[in-house]
Amino acid sequence: MTIKQKYIVDTTLRDGEQSPGMAFSIREKVIIAKSLDALGVARIEAGTPAMGKEECRAFEKIKLACKKARIIGWNRMNLADISQSIGCGADIIHVCVPASDLLIREKLGKNREDVLNHLTVCANAIHSAKRELTIGLEDASRADCDFIIQLIETARDLGATTLRFSDTVGIMSPSLCKAAISRIPRNIDIEVHMHNDLGMAVANSIEGLRAGAKYADSTLFGIGERAGNCNLEHLLIATQNQLDFGISLAELQWRQADLKSIIYKNNLYA
Amino acid sequence: MVTIIDRTLTTFNTDGIDLDDLNHFCDLLFTCGVTKIELTPGLVSRLSFPASAANLKQWLGGRHFFLTRIYSAPTAPDDPRHKESKPLWKLEPNDLLEKNIPIRKLDPRQHRKIRITGLEDLMTRDYRAIFKTLLNSGVEILDLCPNNQQHCATAIALEWILAGGQSISCGFANHHHFPPLEEVLMSLSLSGIMNGDLSVLGELRTLYEKLSGQPVGKMKAIIGEDIFKVESGIHVDGVLKNPHTYEPFTPQSVGNQREIVLGKHSGQKSLLYKLNTQNLSDSAARCLLKHIKARCTQLGRNLSDLELVTLAREVENDDQTKVYC
Repeated sequence: MTIKQKYIVDTTLRDGEQSPGMAFSIREKVIIAKSLDALGVARIEAGTPAMGKEECRAFEKIKLACKKARIIGWNRMNLADISQSIGCGADIIHVCVPASDLLIREKLGKNREDVLNHLTVCANAIHSAKRELTIGLEDASRADCDFIIQLIETARDLGATTLRFSDTVGIMSPSLCKAAISRIPRNIDIEVHMHNDLGMAVANSIEGLRAGAKYADSTLFGIGERAGNCNLEHLLIATQNQLDFGISLAELQWRQADLKSIIYKNNLYA
Repeated sequence: MVTIIDRTLTTFNTDGIDLDDLNHFCDLLFTCGVTKIELTPGLVSRLSFPASAANLKQWLGGRHFFLTRIYSAPTAPDDPRHKESKPLWKLEPNDLLEKNIPIRKLDPRQHRKIRITGLEDLMTRDYRAIFKTLLNSGVEILDLCPNNQQHCATAIALEWILAGGQSISCGFANHHHFPPLEEVLMSLSLSGIMNGDLSVLGELRTLYEKLSGQPVGKMKAIIGEDIFKVESGIHVDGVLKNPHTYEPFTPQSVGNQREIVLGKHSGQKSLLYKLNTQNLSDSAARCLLKHIKARCTQLGRNLSDLELVTLAREVENDDQTKVYC
């Protein structure tokens, strides 16, 4: 049996920390990032520099502390946010693009054309700073398929190296996930970002990876908004001898146990 | 018609459990869409049944039972039995043969009614082909109870039903590594296959915690107490504009409620919303938000409404006073 090589994008410090009540100090963020780096995580989404000075300081320290992992700065589709990420020294500038009509209309108050135009402006700013661009399709699981394809083609034309397919509200099933990922053209790396609202984040990530995705997003203990994100430990357990993320399950388990008091502080109910 | 079997009570020590609680737990399971509740012989004597159940119990000996819901025949309003028109239960034998057997060894001559367990690694295999083999096996009743030790049982259960399977066994809140009942029911509901009343799930969780003595994780999918708490500025902004933006189903539909909370990731809009709900002035909002973020980072949790009120008054009333937060 061929074991396929895949990669983990850890978002404990960004999407994970957005879980209500979670809050890490700069020191705690650096400790978590160093541990993830030593573990063999390929990419670490270290936060949202646009949050302010503290976040930027954490970002700079994480960048210095990590030896191998590439550090991602998460951004709204907003030039001011992107400028902050570039200033913090992020290796990868990730731009989150609302993809469903619901988010475009209700949250942004814009239309599809506005989104495509604004994405182009953001991409140009990132290329001017000579940084790697990755694009995330927020709420892709509820978006129109044709618009998803249009966004992917735009992302590729704009020089994005990776396309993140986000099941933002965690409503996908494995078969829907397979169908969606299989439709994406193979000329861009795919990353799957699954939420656990129906308890299927691990299964959906596996199915996304089997359908051709190169990266899976996950968090320590599965922390994240609502019912959380794909739990890294659970993903490794479910894919043993099937997928190789370059991460030892045993090492993850002891490192995660060491980090538990930082992540949960006084609320040890994991 | 899909059959949903709940197995939660087969693993409880029910000796000390209050009979009313036990009956209510069964009622709630049926309300949310369970078709059959699996019971041990020991449990049968603890529940109220029609008189004929005693004979059935004797006949079944040490085997498990199914509890199913039936409705009494309609009675005239002046009939004294009219008041008892509530749902009734009946017992039926559980004659499923339970096996963790290789799919290729499934033999309809030996296995007429079978529950297949295990299958925890199905998601990394060609599960569609395996389901097809199972469905073409000629077995009369085929119930699946995939193990959840690899955290994929809900997905396996859903895909089984979508592939044409007719029966699935679950347990509430990932009890005993059975597929989590609440996740399976919600997945089937969102797929348009089931339509039970899931608003009782909050009550069911509370009762489950009481009966089992096990707390349900606050982030547990569908039934976690905190899953509708919203803190991050981006999500609060979206939810205040239209809750559907960041909620896969409404809190009310699963017996929960939404709560905007303040923490490290809160934005100005969240704070203004909270100040407004607490009838507090927003004149010092910008300064207050900094204090809130620092305090929450230090504590590693959200601020309570009382803490917010205290902090807001300190910041607003005396700019010269050092605020310890």
